[in-house]
Amino acid sequence: MTFSKKNILLASIPVAILLLVYFFYNPEDFDWFPKCPFYSLTGVYCPGCGSQRALHSLVHLEFGKTASYNFLFLPALGVVLYNFGITVYNELSGKQLTNYIYKPIFPKVVLIIVLLFWGLRNIPFSPFCYLAP
Amino acid sequence: MEENQKKPKNYLVESILVTIFCCLIFGIIGIVNAAKVNSEYEAGNYEGALAASKQAKTWTLWGFIIGLAGVVIVGFLYLVMGIAILGSAGDF
Repeated sequence: MTFSKKNILLASIPVAILLLVYFFYNPEDFDWFPKCPFYSLTGVYCPGCGSQRALHSLVHLEFGKTASYNFLFLPALGVVLYNFGITVYNELSGKQLTNYIYKPIFPKVVLIIVLLFWGLRNIPFSPFCYLAP
Repeated sequence: MEENQKKPKNYLVESILVTIFCCLIFGIIGIVNAAKVNSEYEAGNYEGALAASKQAKTWTLWGFIIGLAGVVIVGFLYLVMGIAILGSAGDF
């Protein structure tokens, strides 16, 4: 049982702290937020670049800004919430709804999208530059 | 025989989280292994799926640990620098 009550409770503490930090502090205004090691070393954006600013925008309910900092942030969050929801639902109800994350095609599609996003957001002209953080 | 064996955890969600938040290649290797878990299991190769699951776990775990260590180290350096600046403020 990955999502036991104890695990959910344990995980909710760091998640709540993170959400509060990103609500009250804008990563753009403070130096002490961690920088992307990949971008620092190579000067090339990685698929996760912009996710701290995206999280800051998200907890302020600015969804457009969230997507502009990291286009995959909201879909990724959707996958996380979907997996959490369906696993907890199946455990509580005893039903066996299909979790599509375990279909062979699903991780392949995720991989292709992430790699495409990685490549495209580093092309420095329109319309690809809108994918840059 | 395969039907009663539990599907190994594929760590896709963990891989995605590492990819987005730790921005390390580890997350992407995790996704590759998640794909392997699903397809090996579907093909009836339970051992292969289990091995890929272990790989996915290792890569996402290390991605998470390295990401967390980076945050802690950067936080510590800023703390030390902050104290140094505060301490030297009176000297000028």
